[in-house]
Parts: sequence; C-alpha cells; structure tokens
Amino acid sequence: MKFNKELIDDLADKLLIGLTDEENKLILSEFNVIDETMELITKIPNISEVEPMTHTLDNFTYTPREDEYEESIPIEDALSNCDSYEGREIKVPKVVGGE
Amino acid sequence: MRKYKAVIGLEMHCEVKSNSKVFSSARNSYNDTPNANIRPIDLAFPGTLPTLNIECIRKALLMSLILNCKVPEYMYFDRKNYYYPDLPKGYQITQMHDPVGVNGHITIDVDDYSKDVLIHDIHLEEDSASLDHYSTISLIDYNRAGVPLLELVTEPCLSSSKEAVAFLEYMRRVYQYADISEADTKKGQIRCDVNVSIMDEDSTELGTKVEIKNVNSFANVASAIDYEIKRQSELKDAGRYDEVEQETRRFDEESGTTIRMRGKVDAIDYKYYVEPNIPKFKIDSAWLEKIKKDIPVLPRERKQHYMDDLGLSEYDANIIIKEKDYADYFEKCVSLGMNPKVAANYLTVQIIAYLNKEGITLKDFYLIPEYLLEITTELDKETISSKQAKEIFNKSLEEKKEPKNYLSENKQISNEVELAEIINKILENNQEQIEEYKNGKTNLFQYFVGQVMKETKGKANPNMVRDILNSKLN
Amino acid sequence: MIKTIEELHEMLKNGEVTSDELVKDSLKKAHNVQDKCNAFVTILDDAHGSEVTDDILSGIPYGIKDNYSTKGILSTGSSNTLKDYVPFFTATAVSNLEKHNVVPIGKTAMDEFGMGGTGTTAHTGNILNPWDTKRMAGGSSSGSAASVAAGVYPFALGSDTGDSIRKPAAFCGIVGYKPTYGMISRYGLFPFASSLDHCGCLTRSVKDAAIVVDAMKGIDKNDLTSWDSSDIHLYDSLDGKVKGKKLFYIKEIVNLENYPDASLELKEHLNNFYHTLDYLKEEGVEVDEVSIDKNLINTIFSVYECLSCAEATSNMSNLTGIIFGPRGEGKNINEMMKDHRTKGFSSLIKRRFVIGSYILQKENQERYFVNAQRVRRLIVDKMNELFKTYDGLIMPVSTGPAPYIDGSKDEITKDNTTNLEEHLQIGNFGGFPSITIPNGFVNDLPVGINITGKCYDDANVLNIAFALECKMPYKNQVAPQFKEGENA
Repeated sequence: MKFNKELIDDLADKLLIGLTDEENKLILSEFNVIDETMELITKIPNISEVEPMTHTLDNFTYTPREDEYEESIPIEDALSNCDSYEGREIKVPKVVGGE
Repeated sequence: MRKYKAVIGLEMHCEVKSNSKVFSSARNSYNDTPNANIRPIDLAFPGTLPTLNIECIRKALLMSLILNCKVPEYMYFDRKNYYYPDLPKGYQITQMHDPVGVNGHITIDVDDYSKDVLIHDIHLEEDSASLDHYSTISLIDYNRAGVPLLELVTEPCLSSSKEAVAFLEYMRRVYQYADISEADTKKGQIRCDVNVSIMDEDSTELGTKVEIKNVNSFANVASAIDYEIKRQSELKDAGRYDEVEQETRRFDEESGTTIRMRGKVDAIDYKYYVEPNIPKFKIDSAWLEKIKKDIPVLPRERKQHYMDDLGLSEYDANIIIKEKDYADYFEKCVSLGMNPKVAANYLTVQIIAYLNKEGITLKDFYLIPEYLLEITTELDKETISSKQAKEIFNKSLEEKKEPKNYLSENKQISNEVELAEIINKILENNQEQIEEYKNGKTNLFQYFVGQVMKETKGKANPNMVRDILNSKLN
Repeated sequence: MIKTIEELHEMLKNGEVTSDELVKDSLKKAHNVQDKCNAFVTILDDAHGSEVTDDILSGIPYGIKDNYSTKGILSTGSSNTLKDYVPFFTATAVSNLEKHNVVPIGKTAMDEFGMGGTGTTAHTGNILNPWDTKRMAGGSSSGSAASVAAGVYPFALGSDTGDSIRKPAAFCGIVGYKPTYGMISRYGLFPFASSLDHCGCLTRSVKDAAIVVDAMKGIDKNDLTSWDSSDIHLYDSLDGKVKGKKLFYIKEIVNLENYPDASLELKEHLNNFYHTLDYLKEEGVEVDEVSIDKNLINTIFSVYECLSCAEATSNMSNLTGIIFGPRGEGKNINEMMKDHRTKGFSSLIKRRFVIGSYILQKENQERYFVNAQRVRRLIVDKMNELFKTYDGLIMPVSTGPAPYIDGSKDEITKDNTTNLEEHLQIGNFGGFPSITIPNGFVNDLPVGINITGKCYDDANVLNIAFALECKMPYKNQVAPQFKEGENA
C-alpha cells in the first residue's frame, strides 16, 4: 500500500500540524479515492503532452507596476494583531539553526 | 596529501536597486528603523496579493542579456514552500521552471589567464525578513522582506577559490557597471552559496557535492572553499571518502571551518509550483531590443581599451576598472582631453588615497574631472610646477573651491622682461657676491636663484631664472 | 423588508422608508436568523443608515462573508486561527461597494476559509438552512446564503472556489453569481486556492446580482489577475431578449440513465431540470444535449481536489500565529507554530492540507498536481470549443435539495452521483461566469439550476438567466418561516 500512517504523520509534521489517529485514518481513505481517479488521468491518451494549466485565464495581458513606492504602513497597524512584540519588532523565542 | 581536482559551483544572490520592492510596493532602501519599509504583503496579512515591479523585470532581463543567457518568452514565477520565521508567507516567490536567463556564459580574468564561466541560470526572486538574535529571543524586521534579489547560478566549472573569488569580484563590478545593484558586500547586498566536490586528477567522474550556505564575504568564500577541499582531500587520502556526504554545511567564521547543517535525507522538499497570482508576462521583443542597448561596456572590455588604445599599464587599468566610479571618472577625464596617463596617475595615486583617507566614494569627491582639468592644463603649459599642482589639488579639496581660484596666485612668472627686471634689481643689491662669484666661488649661483625665488615668492620659472642669470653673470 | 434593490431604491427615494429604518429592520432580522440558523460571525449592531443618493445601492444594507478583509471589523474566515483578527485594510471588492453608500450589517459565517461545502466547519458552529433548519445551508458561503434567503437584506457577498456561491444559493432557493475570474479583484479576500477563487454575490434576483457585481468589479492595481471591465454594464444589459440563443447540457451528467439506482428525489430533481428547459425553449432558446468523454467527466472531482488542496496548503502557510492570530504555546518557534495550527484548524482543513502537501511533493507532483493541471486544460479547452457554438452550459445544481446536516461528513468519497455534485467546478477551472437561480422545489425544498458561459461574456449569461427567471415564480423568494416574521 502506497499510503500509510507514518507517511501521513510525517507529511502533517512538515506542515506544522498535529493529527489525531482518527484524522490520520480518514486521510488514508481519502487518499485512496483520489489516487484511484488519478489512475484514470494517467490513462488519458497523450496526457503528458498537454500543457499544464497554471493560470486561470490564457492570453491574459496586463501592465506591471511602475517602480514607485507607497508609504510604509503605520507600525501600530502592523503590530495590532500580534501577541508578542518588542519595540517595533515581532518577538519570538530565539531562532537557532538555518532554513 | 595527494592533489585532487576541485569542482566548484557558485550561487550568488545580489540585491537589486529599485525604488520599490519586487512584489510589494514598499520602499526598497536600507532603513535603520525596523519595520519602516513595509506594506501589508510584506507581513503576509490574509488577502494580500503580489504585484510585479517592471523595473525589476527590466534589470533581470538586462543581467540575463549581459550573461549571454537565453531569455524566456514569458516572465512568470514559482512558489518555493517552506516554513521559517523570516518567511512570512510560508513561501518565497522565485523562478524555478522558466528563469529569466538560462545557459549563459561570461569571460573573466584570473591573474594571467582568462576563463569562460558557464552560467546555469539567473532568476529574479524576493528576499526574506531579517532576524536580530538576542540571548533568549529573536526579533523580526520585515524591511528586507520582498526586496528584489537576482540569484545567479554557475555550472560547476570553477576549479579553485581563486577562480571563484575572481568570478565574484568580476560579477560584483558588472552589477555596478550595469547599474543593477550597488553590490555592496559590506551592506550584505551580496550573499553566496558554494558547492564543492573533489575528484582524481585524471578522472571524469564527479565526486560527492557538498553545499555551503550563506557565505557572506568573498574572503569567506575563499576560506570555505579551501577548507572544504582540504577536508575532503584528507578524507580521500585516508581512504574514507565515503564519509564525504552529500550535505548542506555552513561556514563558521570564527574557526574558519565548515559545519554540517543537514544531510541529503533531511533535504527540504520545497514543493515548487507556479505562482497563480502573477499572470504570465509576455516579454515584448521590441522592449528586449531596447534593453540590449542599455548593456554597458563591461569592465573587461574597458580594461582592454585602456591598455591597447590609451597606453595604460595593466596595473593601472586593473585599478581603474575595479569600481565603475573610477572608470567613469577616468573616461570623463580622457574625454575632456586630459592625457590618459596623467589622468590615470592622478586617479590611482592621489585621488584613491584621498578617498580612502576620507572614507568617501568618488560620488562625493569635490574635484570633478572638469576641475582636475584646470590643474592639469596649467601643469601641461608649465605655468605651474608639479609641487604647486599638488598644493592646489589639496587646497581646492580642503576649501571646496575651484582650482582656478588658486591658479592666479600661484602662476609662474615666465615673462622674460619681468624676470630680467627682478634679477637686475637683485644683482644691483649684491655687488659683493658678484665679485666673489666672478673670483671663482661658483656655488654662489644657487644663492642668486634663491634670492629671485624669495623675491617672487617661488613663482619665478626656475629654468628661465637660470638662463637669465647665466647670461648676466658669465 | 423583502424587496428587490430597485424597489428599495424607489422607496428610499420617495421617502416611504429611510435608510436607518432599513438598517434597523435588517439588524433585527439578522439576530433572528442568528438564533435560528447561526448565520453570522459578527452582527454590526452599531450600523446606521447612510445617505441616499441617485445611486441605486445607496442606503441599502448587506452582508459580507467573513473571508473578506474589513478594516476595523473582525474578520475570521470562520477559523480559530484568526478568531480575534481585526484587519487594518479593506478588500477591494468591499471598498468598491462602499463608494455606493451601502451599509454592512454583519459578517457571515462560512466553511472555514471556504474549504468545504456543507456549512459545518465554521469555528462558530453549524450554519443551518432557513427552509429547514435540520438541513445544511450548503457551503462555503453558508451564512451569506442563509441570511439572504431569510430576507435579512437583498444581497450578501460570497466567494466561490468550487461551487461555494452557486451551491448554497441552490440549497437556499436564491441566486448565486460568480463572474469571470478577475472581474472582481481578490485583493483582501482570504485565499483558498488562488487559481480557482472568485468573488461574487448572493441575491434573490438576477437583476440584483447584476447591480451588485457592477459595483464590486473593476481592475485593481493590487490584483494582477484583475482586468478592466469598464465597458461591461451588467445591469443595463439585461433586456430578457434571448431568442436564438443556444445552450447545452452534458448528457453524461444529466441523463437519468446514468443513475440506475436514482432516488425519488434525484428523479424529481432531474425531471424538474428538463421541465425548466421548456421555459427557455418557449422563449426561442435552443437547448441541446451534448456528449462529453465520460472519462474526462469522471476526473473533474479529483482534479479539483488535487488543485485546491495543493494551492490551499501553500496559501495558508502564513497562518502561524507569529505576526497575527493567537500565539501558540511551545518552547521554540516551530512548536509555537505547530500548536497554533493544530489548535486553530478544523479537522477537514488539516486533512486537505496533508493531501495537498503530498500532491506537491517532488516525487508525486507530476502524477497528481501537474496531471491535474493538464486535465484542467483539457476540460477547459473542451468547454471553450463548445462555447464557440453555444452561449452557455445549463445544468441542474447538485442531486436535489439540501441534505440533512446529520450524517453529512464532508469527506472525500466517491459514488455514482459524484459528477452531479461536483460539475460546477468546471466554472472555476475556466474562470467562466456562472450563475445559479432557483428553479422550483423537490420535497418542498428549493432546488437550483445553473448557467455557465464563456469568459468575459457575463452580460449574455446573466441575460439568459434573467429571461429564465422571468418565466418562473421564484424571484425574490424567501424561506417561509422568515416570511411570516416579515408580516409579524
């Protein structure tokens, strides 16, 4: 079997999400439904030659923004929904290690 | 220790100069006050969307063209998904599928040889926020979040730390010459990742690649590479090459070593996919042609020109192309009609020394080429001595006044009649000394010259003084 | 006051009612609907009337789905991750409407961040159907649909990623319209799946939908996918003239033969659909049955799940409780973020995230995500090919009226009626304009019919819907028990 509990827990952990056993089980069954249909897709003739649709509207034209800046948002606004800050900065426990 | 071939690849991130950030309309400039250059998207507030700065696209395309890269038909972006406290959206907008340039190359000089460096790709992306670390906490400043970055990725085609640094130094200049970035390493505008592997001299099989992330100065790039080559070589010598792992390390400045961060198994899957909020932007061919015209004469070509056409030494030419400001200053001087060697001499000796002493850049240097020309013209005409030229140079800088203000008071007296009159007067008052001179005390000649100089406050043309004295005394 | 926008404007202009009175009445009803259907996250009790001008929308109360960012007003997306979030900026669609002097009455509850189609995942509890409170309102624009169907105000804002405006509209017996992708800016709309998300509205008549979207739409410098629609005037282009128009429906989804075990309800629903087509034919509209490769049809649902889950995983990575939202507990920042997310998200969302993340993984991306994007194109191409001949696709919405809340799980399962449940997602794949209107009753509960047309052809789609609406007696209908409240 392609999908198992460990795989799902690992995926969830990387998403910074904890799952209950019940949720884990449910995902397993949902996975299987999706996987079955994806099997159908791989059987569509020449599917690999179709250009993936990454954007909703094709042949869409637009003008990018001119290089002008807008005023910074007030610091009170920036921090108004933050539970932990110091001075003008957002405060977190010391970050160690890299990305 | 046996000698192995090193194979080195570089990733060079360079901050792009612009008024506003790349996907955000916040100001793009360094700011000491934290969170003072921010718009809602820089903190990833729900519902915010990226916009796209046309000037950043232009500069990315310009760099792509300079690197002789293949430019895509459309400009579009990808999301690189990962969690880190400096990444507010939980993803970075970058280019993976279709970067702004692929398959390029650029020639650089390394000591006495030149090398064609192959460019895998160059892509436009956004910078992350910056973290300030304290003993138990970190503070997050989002001023840098969303600042445009160009990431240049070379093929693994460099073979020593010397080549790597030569490449980085050269690219730093190119960024400046093309006015794409200030490329100031001191301001953290350039950051590098380095890939190093080693292989047997006669082998074609690539060794295990080790990546060293976030090396922040060119000196550290060299140290990191040298350390890695040594580390890997020693393991290989000891028959323990299997201990060289495909992994990510970081450079520790204090110890001068590299330290493991994570192995291949822990490699982050960035789950790249196309950013749907930025529609594909067609790169208009007419626009691209226009951008091509903005490609500056690159430092290497300039150097060749200085040596071949203007007669400079390689030594001087190398100093002048080091900074675009220097080269521009020099070329302006030459275009004003200054003798190239004189201009080069001024620049490489007096001017650079002055800049270093004052800690300023050429942009803030008072003596613009037009002013310098006032001095050199008089020097050419021998109306001032080189000593006087130097004095005028210094005084002009000190008092921030045009050199011509000092020229009139310093001009040499080269008028023969005027000088003869002065000399006659001095001789009249020194009959005794004339006697002694005529009686064989010939070293008194210098005494007469000195008297003339004293009288003219040093402005008399010394050659002419000698000639006139000679004719009068002998 | 259960009236259309045109009627209300007339009354406001000639002084029969004031904006203040409308607002007070609306607030009273909002509380009533809140008691019975749990339709709101926030009711703005301080709301008062606004100046009435010649603008048809001036002085009129309305509701806003809680995933629109509203400055100074709690905006939760019905999620615990944002349970106290008060934005400092307003979504473009809302600020565009504000220029017309409309009066917001409340923020409506929804399936958390728009994921889900039942109205059972809001952090404030289940949202119930005003026609029968044992049944779901449908989702995710559940509170908007319920409040409009209960006559609180003539319109409410919704958002639609799969069918989140158009399905609850059908279940609540009202009109739900999502215009072409990018006609309304998404700036300030909490994202679910950016390439599928649309803004739109829920109303009780096609004309009202046209009026509201006219006011919401417009190119926006903050949304690169928005476009200039200044030459499109939806309200002005409704003339009901549809003679010679051509519509089609998809045999593989609609034909009763596809469902050998069809329930009585489903049979009635499909018969009612065919019956509705007769109205159109009476108006000179040609309606054809068109056959589309069943294999392609069968993939719609999975393609949608793949794309929407994957995009959602990424879009909601900003919800960590670091910059906004309740800070989680933990020794280090990762633990804090994980705690915030584990406590903040409903079970449904977590499951979708895990699936989306799996789909995007390097080694799986080709099979799932990229293939889904490819099939999306095949489906959209097929539709665009048909739109060369036809003005639109007309389809029944869902398999009948709103299901009971008990027993609904909102899990990814598949049975042979899945295609009938999920086909509205075609409208999101292509960014097509799509409108649902009520077309009768099954078991005394409302059912809906949907018309979807080609991109930028919104006026034509609305006009066909308008013509059909005029043939049927369901315009401006309100759930009966709330109608009685009107008289009391």
